[in-house]
Amino acid sequence: MRKLMFYVPLVLFLTLALFLLSGLFSNPMERESVTTNKPLPAFSLPDLMQPAQRWQPEQLRGETFLLNVWGTWCPTCNAELSYMTELKQQGVKIIGLYYVLPVDPLLGESFDLTMLQADVSNKLQQRGNPYQFNILDADRSLSLDLGVSGAPETFIVDSNGIVREHHIGDINPQVWRNKLAPLYQKWRQQDGSQ
Amino acid sequence: MKTLLWLLTSILLALSACATPAFATEEALRFDNETQRKLYQQLTAELRCPQCQNQNIADSNAIVSVDMRQKTYDMIKQGSSRDDVLDYMINRYGNFVHYQPPLNRYTLLLWLAPVLMLLALVALQLKRRRQQAAESSSEAAAESASEQSASAALDAELDELIEQYRSKK
Repeated sequence: MRKLMFYVPLVLFLTLALFLLSGLFSNPMERESVTTNKPLPAFSLPDLMQPAQRWQPEQLRGETFLLNVWGTWCPTCNAELSYMTELKQQGVKIIGLYYVLPVDPLLGESFDLTMLQADVSNKLQQRGNPYQFNILDADRSLSLDLGVSGAPETFIVDSNGIVREHHIGDINPQVWRNKLAPLYQKWRQQDGSQ
Repeated sequence: MKTLLWLLTSILLALSACATPAFATEEALRFDNETQRKLYQQLTAELRCPQCQNQNIADSNAIVSVDMRQKTYDMIKQGSSRDDVLDYMINRYGNFVHYQPPLNRYTLLLWLAPVLMLLALVALQLKRRRQQAAESSSEAAAESASEQSASAALDAELDELIEQYRSKK
């Protein structure tokens, strides 16, 4: 018994060391989203390119799609444009949710839609355009309702307008293959049956 | 001279300790009453920035924190209670967003751990005390026993000496 007690500090130390070691390899940004498996929040937002057109959640039903939160000011978002364009060519439906910066260094203090549109079309011409269209979230209200903490983030929304996945970070071949593609295919297959 | 310097330093130190962290954004905010201002300060200190690591939204200038501060302000101005604001944020960003996790089956261990640790320490201390008490009492007994035997030996020696003395006579 006494001999066993002798090993207690060692065992405790090893447990703590293992626990802390596992922390080194965990992703601190990863956490369960609470907005998944709920319908898209209510919104009525203008189209980025044709502001006269307004988008409501009901108009987005009928087909599973990716809702990609992005902005030209965000380098990671720009980096994922070309891969997402490949996905679009494979038939993946992607809708952009444009996340406007409160103060855009490019646009200055006042919000100028024409300048923003020019900047966006310029960027999309350079890098590829994966989007069917872009919804303009000028005051980031829809982003707040969706629990967006920054850009890029991507949601998988099914044909009934239910959010099925909330991915924080970029979409690259590895993330798509291992995480998002299986989910997208799963909900895509159920499109017709509902 | 030395005391004067010491006095000056301590006054400066006390002053710097008194200076509360300035809420730069808040100076521009207007509230209907002091309760609302207090609530705003409390909530922005308690709500956690979802993007940054370990910062509350009062301290962070991430876009999402700016938006959450604005929302908190708007809701308070519209007369929302503390729970309304917390529910709103937790419904969007999860329990992660509040620095006071609720008590549920996932966080039970978290809340109980300090109490359990305290109980374990008290139990350990009690056990140790009892052991020490037992040891010292047995030691005392052993000591008195050895003392007795020593005095017995001395007595015997004395008897012997007396005997010798008497027989010499």
